[in-house]
Amino acid sequence: MKVLLIEDEQKIADFVSIGLKERDFNVEHCNNGNVGFELASKGQYAVIILDIMLLGRDGLSILKELRSSGVATPIILLTARNELGDRITGLNLGADDYLAKPFFVEELVARIHVLQRRLAGDRQNLLQVGKLKLDRITRQASSSGHTIELTTREFSLLEYLMRSAGQVFTRGQILEHVWGYDFDPSTNVVDVCIKRIRSKIGSIEVSADAPSPIESVRGTGYRFRLEP
Amino acid sequence: MISFRTRLFIIAVSIVLTALTVVLALAWSSLMKNEVDRLDERLCLETQRFTTQPFIRNDAAGLESDIVNKLRLDSNKQLLFRYTSEVGMPEVKSTYWQDDINIDQLNWKSVPFRALPDPNRQLRDEHRPEARLDNRTEASPAERAPRGKCAVSTLTVQDKQWRATTFTTPRGRGFLGVDLAATTSELQAGLKRALWLVVPLALILTALGAWLLASLTMRPVNRIRNAMKTLTQKDLHQRISNEGEDKEFRELIDTYNTMLQRLDVSFHQASRFSGDAAHELRTPLTILQGKIEQLLNKSDNHVIQTDLTEMLDEVSRLTAITRKLLLLSHADAGKLALHTTRIDLSELLNELVVDAQMLINNQTLRSNIAKQQVIYGDILLLQQLLNNLISNAVRYCPAKGNITIQSISEKKGVTILISNTSHNINMNDRARFFDRFYRGDAAHNRKIEGNGLGLSLALEIAKAHGGDLRLAQSPQDVVQLYLWLPFKR
Repeated sequence: MKVLLIEDEQKIADFVSIGLKERDFNVEHCNNGNVGFELASKGQYAVIILDIMLLGRDGLSILKELRSSGVATPIILLTARNELGDRITGLNLGADDYLAKPFFVEELVARIHVLQRRLAGDRQNLLQVGKLKLDRITRQASSSGHTIELTTREFSLLEYLMRSAGQVFTRGQILEHVWGYDFDPSTNVVDVCIKRIRSKIGSIEVSADAPSPIESVRGTGYRFRLEP
Repeated sequence: MISFRTRLFIIAVSIVLTALTVVLALAWSSLMKNEVDRLDERLCLETQRFTTQPFIRNDAAGLESDIVNKLRLDSNKQLLFRYTSEVGMPEVKSTYWQDDINIDQLNWKSVPFRALPDPNRQLRDEHRPEARLDNRTEASPAERAPRGKCAVSTLTVQDKQWRATTFTTPRGRGFLGVDLAATTSELQAGLKRALWLVVPLALILTALGAWLLASLTMRPVNRIRNAMKTLTQKDLHQRISNEGEDKEFRELIDTYNTMLQRLDVSFHQASRFSGDAAHELRTPLTILQGKIEQLLNKSDNHVIQTDLTEMLDEVSRLTAITRKLLLLSHADAGKLALHTTRIDLSELLNELVVDAQMLINNQTLRSNIAKQQVIYGDILLLQQLLNNLISNAVRYCPAKGNITIQSISEKKGVTILISNTSHNINMNDRARFFDRFYRGDAAHNRKIEGNGLGLSLALEIAKAHGGDLRLAQSPQDVVQLYLWLPFKR
């Protein structure tokens, strides 16, 4: 998947590029607004990641001109300055999503996936890892034909872990994705929520000894087992 | 505490009333003096009659009524009269004569009077040598009436003031006195009647005038006060117009505007400083978080992973503080931008209640959320606001304590009440609840996480939505927050 990253802060661009490449994205980086606009209006990209504060040309004006010239490529804005105002202007100008700095690359990846799925339509509504199935439309979980009743938060959390099954997520990453960045980072709400999901999944397991599909990684966070 | 307007009114009324009293008193005493002078004149004329015309000594009663008539008295009770001849002749006395009057001990004063033209001048001149002296002035044709002198005095008999004169004839000595009160009573009654009319009228006019004056004085003060009232923290850049004001008030307004200007400058410097600082921290925080995340993905070592995770948590904490500072600086500058959308408040609250339920340990959480509460607001900010209030309630609620979350639909908005049991919080601490970076001692002692920015930001968010957030009255060991949000701003 081809991604255009327009970001003038070299160090930020570095870790974003590396992070996205590790997840098999084809990243093209550009650190200048004017060049970025040229690339964006000509190239075929799946997603454009656009910083608002740029050398040469402001991110919002690039967005505005791309949309007015008919470029419909999904755009995720990276905001820093005057976060709220830019968020509103950005969404009004036709951005598809935005991320406030600082952000987790993991979260950026999740947002790209959401945009891709939205474009792809209904085909990817079902997510299955092992026995566990998630229906993103009805927001229902089931295992071996048994429905599991999950709250909104529990479903989002499970979906986040299952989409990148096998990968470790920190509490901070989970918190930011599921609860939003306004949530107090010192809370243990993630652990409690994981515990609840485990017990809900565990209650329908046939054998009581089977390990939970959500694995705790000591000191770091959680991951969804690829092979339960 | 009386108002300045009332005080002005009272002062103005007092001044006018004092002036009025003085003027009336002066007029009164001058009128009275004039009346007494006229009485003296009548008395003196009467004595002149005795000295110039022989009177019938045998008919005392006839003489008395004659004098009463001449002096225009109401009755003989108002008359004191005695005539004593030197030898052998009986005294002539008025009916109510008091024998204890000692004529010689009175303080006699000589007053001039205008005597009647006397047909028997020759006769009188023979008997009154002092009158002869006065006749020197008669040479002037302009003064027809001869001038005389007679002795008058005021004395007290039977608790009454009397005006008296004494006279001497070749054969005897006389005393003639009249009741002063009785003779001036007619004038006094007339004056009193006039005063009954004039004084209330003067009072009414004075009151009206004083009130008008007080109102006129207060008008520019009120105008300036209202103008000052409309200026709030958010629009420090506004100035009050001094157009059309009087000199003194213009100076007052200029002074106020100068003060406002200085306040504006320093306020914006402070606000911009925290905004700029928060912004400048963003890029390094972003790089820090991104790099740590990258390292964490690479590392296989558990110890390093644990350390990196802790570092990430600290970065998150720092990020939360800078975000709040930035929002607060926007709020202070009056530029807290709202991206208003339709929000299902009931759903949002229920979600947060579910979160809170996950966080409580051995506390009790009760909630009563009204259904289908829809408001228009900024979802991110409202989420921050409600999340802050609810997570505070959970955080500060001790074991076995109670937390309640209620929302009530009202005519124009929604009232949300969030309360929790807490340790005792005194009034002092309660008053500082919404102060920035303020954390109660107990919060420090009990090592409760937090930065003391949440509540002040919550207040700003509520205000930006046209709502209100305040601490409700509650027992010392309960914290209850009252939040009101209008359906539409």
